[in-house]
Amino acid sequence: MVHSSVHRLLLLTILVGCTAPPGREAFVLRIAVWGPLGELAPTSNQSALASIAQPLVYEKLATLDADEQLKPILAARVERLSGDRIQLELQRDASFSDGTQVTDLDVVHSLESGGLRVTQSERTLIVESSQRGLPADALLLEARVFRQQEGKPIGSGPFVVAARTDAEMRLVRRVRRAGRINDVRIIAYTTPRDAFAHTLRGDANLIVDLESRWLEFFRGVPSLQVVRRAGRNADAFIFNTDLPRADRVQLVSLLGTQRVRELAYGTAECAESAEAASDEWAMPAGTALRLLSWGPFERLALAARRALGDRGGEVYHLTPEETIARMKSRDFDLVTARPIRWPRSSMALIWRTGSANNFVGYSNAAVDRAIDAGDWTAAEIALQQDPPAAFVCTRDHVAVVDVRIRNPTLGPYDLLETLPEWEVAQ
Amino acid sequence: MTRRRLALLLAALVAASGVLPLLLLAVFGLEILRKRGEQASQESLHAIAEQAAARIATYIAQQREMLRAIATAIGGEPDAPQRVRDISLDAPSLGKLRLVTAETPPRDLPPMLKPDRIAAALRGSEVASDTYLAELSPAMDVCVPAGKTGRAVCATLDLLELQRQVQRIRVGEQGYALAFDRSGRLVAAGSGAMRAAVLRGEPVAESVLAAALVNGKPAPARLKNGEGRDVLAGWASLPEPGWSIAVEQPVEEALRGARSALGFLSLGAVLALVVSLAIGTVFARRMLTALELEERFRTAGRIATGVTHDLGHRLTILQQIEQLAAMNDADYLPRIRESLAAEVGTLRRFVADFSDLTREAKPADFLPIELNAFAESVRLGAQGYAKEANVTIEVQPAPSKLWVRGDRYLLERAALNLTRNAIEASKPGSAVHLRIERGHGGAVLAVEDRGQGVEPDRIATLFESFSSTKRTGVHVGMGLPNVRRIAVAHGGTVSVKSKPGEGSTFTLSLPVSGDQSSSPSAPATMP
Repeated sequence: MVHSSVHRLLLLTILVGCTAPPGREAFVLRIAVWGPLGELAPTSNQSALASIAQPLVYEKLATLDADEQLKPILAARVERLSGDRIQLELQRDASFSDGTQVTDLDVVHSLESGGLRVTQSERTLIVESSQRGLPADALLLEARVFRQQEGKPIGSGPFVVAARTDAEMRLVRRVRRAGRINDVRIIAYTTPRDAFAHTLRGDANLIVDLESRWLEFFRGVPSLQVVRRAGRNADAFIFNTDLPRADRVQLVSLLGTQRVRELAYGTAECAESAEAASDEWAMPAGTALRLLSWGPFERLALAARRALGDRGGEVYHLTPEETIARMKSRDFDLVTARPIRWPRSSMALIWRTGSANNFVGYSNAAVDRAIDAGDWTAAEIALQQDPPAAFVCTRDHVAVVDVRIRNPTLGPYDLLETLPEWEVAQ
Repeated sequence: MTRRRLALLLAALVAASGVLPLLLLAVFGLEILRKRGEQASQESLHAIAEQAAARIATYIAQQREMLRAIATAIGGEPDAPQRVRDISLDAPSLGKLRLVTAETPPRDLPPMLKPDRIAAALRGSEVASDTYLAELSPAMDVCVPAGKTGRAVCATLDLLELQRQVQRIRVGEQGYALAFDRSGRLVAAGSGAMRAAVLRGEPVAESVLAAALVNGKPAPARLKNGEGRDVLAGWASLPEPGWSIAVEQPVEEALRGARSALGFLSLGAVLALVVSLAIGTVFARRMLTALELEERFRTAGRIATGVTHDLGHRLTILQQIEQLAAMNDADYLPRIRESLAAEVGTLRRFVADFSDLTREAKPADFLPIELNAFAESVRLGAQGYAKEANVTIEVQPAPSKLWVRGDRYLLERAALNLTRNAIEASKPGSAVHLRIERGHGGAVLAVEDRGQGVEPDRIATLFESFSSTKRTGVHVGMGLPNVRRIAVAHGGTVSVKSKPGEGSTFTLSLPVSGDQSSSPSAPATMP
């Protein structure tokens, strides 16, 4: 009788212990984006919204920390060698989402499809660029390790795609971790207005890449917090390379000033705000400079024209397509753009002679040499001496996220690369 | 009733009479305070709404004035298109500025102004659209004459600043402001949750009221908001842009002061009541002790008076007997013996009466007693006395057994006392009835006689000590007080109904025992 009661009590205790407390649902991170989701693939396709989940599903061998030092992810060890080569060693216990081990061969295939050449040496891999002018650094940071499995790429990241529709993608953590995010949903809304409204209503709890102007909507909302991180891109004017070098040097000192920033952005914060501003407002005499602007850059173009004084010519506010057409025909002097500035190795993607994103045909042998040597400081100096662009304002990446996340930070390279380590308040 | 209970009752009476009226007064005062507080809150909210509306009106007026100044200054210049665009750098709140002419392509025209209104602007009239949501913030298209026929300077006013102003209004911790356009669409909300309705253009609970307010209908100062909460609201409207502003605060927060005061007062009243009770109880017990002491002295005096009187009477008789005995006349011997026997009996009863007073009833020692049998036992006990008085005793039992619990000895003393009184009051040849019945919630032993009855003016003091007027030599006035003492000690009562010349009925009521169905193991009988 007594034994029976004790057994019942024990059973009850176990049952109660194993039952989740009522009303405490597992935390789900719902990321609001706007536009079509697109496909999530390991190869770079930054225009697809689904690519925001790339660092969660497809790991890279290494990323960069805030000091531009290589930090291993899937690699156990990573080291820069001379001659734009990188030596790395793969983690031996890494596995793909189907449970199979990540092999050196998988890494070789993945890196080669990312434009890298890989040499195996016992347990280490030596990586170098196979594309002339593109540094191994920049390519390695974009290359994600994957394996084709039944025609679909699988990754080794902590998350795996569990379901997807045109409007939503669900990712679940492969091995659940207490106190961390285990369930992520990327929800595609039609417009930013919808995305914001659903976030305010609590249907979503993370929006990344907000303009500072729209933060007003989220201020004072108790369930959300604002997270910032220095952006990788800067609002800039790219010059027509036909402009004399002296003019371009003068334009850099003229346009990268606090006065232009204030005219263009008002009180919005730029990373360059604290920099000493040049008060040189004089441009050498010459023809009026034509400015092209598109999208959100009209005020920036107008501010530049005012700064240029007598050299400020017509401002053409165009569609992106019209802008590209004018650039190709070299029918402009300055054009607004938002080129990538960080990490410095990415300079090669834009400014090296003949690179795919070098739309204005900039060419500087000193820059090319420095890039080829992986000497970013030398490349920067060479660019300053013969500038292809005037950088005006590097703006923060801004996100709003659920207050229950204790340590939300945006990654220096991929915005959500730190998400797997975000802690959730219980 | 024990001294403690009596003291508590006294203290409670004093406390209640002192604190409760104050409490009632305070509650009444607080209700007035609450109403005044609500009124003051509503006035305050209304003032905030009016201020916000005034700021919004001023802001829009300033923007339009700035636009007019720009148009007047440069709208007629040959390079007006470029200068108008340039000047937008200095007036970011004017949003997109442009010079409009008849040749301006449709994509460059203000989106919310129809062609006929653009035409009116080109003819020299100032025109403005209603506010609308452009991208994510409210906007308003305005065109003003450019100082040259066929030209107008148009702007899409960026009203984000107004949205900020409304969103930043805070009243207390939970109060916020809402702004509605002419149609009742929410355009700015201080409540984060309601901003979704701003973006999606969804109506909220206040939308209808806001739209009505713009048309001159008053809006309520207390309402249930979209979240189902009772809120106080202050309203203001702006005829020109057609906006209405509501500033809301949850009732519970707005009236927190009055509620706190009520809470504190209630707590204070309870504490005061408890303290009053505690102090009152202590003092009442002291007073009762003093009173009891005084009463004891008074009782002792009364006893002494009675005893002196009665024993003096007995002493006189004994002196007469002594004088008779001193005559040494053998013929008087039987009379002396009878008289002595009678006096000894009287003194024995006298002592017995006092002895009864010393015995306390202890509920722990109570035993079950069946009243029908008990009455028969009493009858037998009083039979001898009744015979001497030539009176019969008749028992009228209850239809079924009726059980009580008690000290059988004391109850018998009480019942015998009532019976003997009834016999003494009865005329020879008459009968005394012992009636057993179930009364109101208790068992009743009624003793009835057909004697002369009790004078009405004596009934009130009949059960008080030493109140007997018989004083026939055997009564010291302790019998009926003792009966009452015994009845009360058993949780019962004793009462009397009497009519002069018709007789009296003394009723001893006792609580019935819990279980009437089962017989106790030791039914009470006379010893």
